[in-house]
Amino acid sequence: MIRETYVHYVAAVYALAWLVTLAYVVILNSKLGRLERELDEIAGLLEAKADG
Amino acid sequence: MNTTSGARLDRATSAALVAAVLMPVALGLIFFYVPNDVDQGFSQRIFYFHVPIAMTTYALFAWGALNAARYLWTGDMGLDLRSYVPMHLGVIFGTLTLVTGSIWAKVSWGTWWYWGSTELNTFLIIFLFYCAYFMLRFSVEPGERRARYSAVYALLGVGLIPISVLAVHLGQDVIHPVTFTDRGANMDGTMLFTFLMALAAMLSLAVAMYLVELRGKRLDEQVTRLRRLAEGTR
Repeated sequence: MIRETYVHYVAAVYALAWLVTLAYVVILNSKLGRLERELDEIAGLLEAKADG
Repeated sequence: MNTTSGARLDRATSAALVAAVLMPVALGLIFFYVPNDVDQGFSQRIFYFHVPIAMTTYALFAWGALNAARYLWTGDMGLDLRSYVPMHLGVIFGTLTLVTGSIWAKVSWGTWWYWGSTELNTFLIIFLFYCAYFMLRFSVEPGERRARYSAVYALLGVGLIPISVLAVHLGQDVIHPVTFTDRGANMDGTMLFTFLMALAAMLSLAVAMYLVELRGKRLDEQVTRLRRLAEGTR
């Protein structure tokens, strides 16, 4: 017979692992977004220079 | 690693694909294949995630320290990044180890933490030691000096890992379960198979995360260099 409280604890462990992985992906995605914006800025700088 | 054609998968994608296959297989084995433990019952299933996460933490710290040693030997700044990224991931996996371990402790021992366990305490010391790594690293200006200090610190910490692994054997620890003894694994074949699958899944996930983060950091460095050049041409 499985005690219900134990199921909650086990579920908490596995949910936590997935949440951390998901949070990691979200953080990496936001970092990539920042890099994308920086590249746009650099491209703008170079275009402005090219235009004189 | 860049490839000349799009047909070949890069290493990060390959590792992520392996993790994507192994993780559901491991979860399937954990919840639908492996029997309940005689002593701990259903809650013992925490073991199949907690221990692989802890082992992955050790592997990441060891990989970071190995790259730190290689940096000190060669002076290649690329190795500094290869040392920093596993340390960062090691702290993430270390946090998960401590939290999942605490939940398991609450179920098994009725307490969130047991200060009498040598293994728990040595793991906590290693974790806190590598948390301090970031304080040291970010208190020094980027460059060779920072890389050198970080590498020496990373190497100092790795000596604690075998002590942590052996702690349960060296100390008279009676509360923390001993999974692997001198006579082999202290579990039956189905449990060992499930455990090894979970370990492989966790390691492949860590490898994928390491390669993706490393690529991101390298990209960040290139963007910074590009910005300096672009601003210098104004």
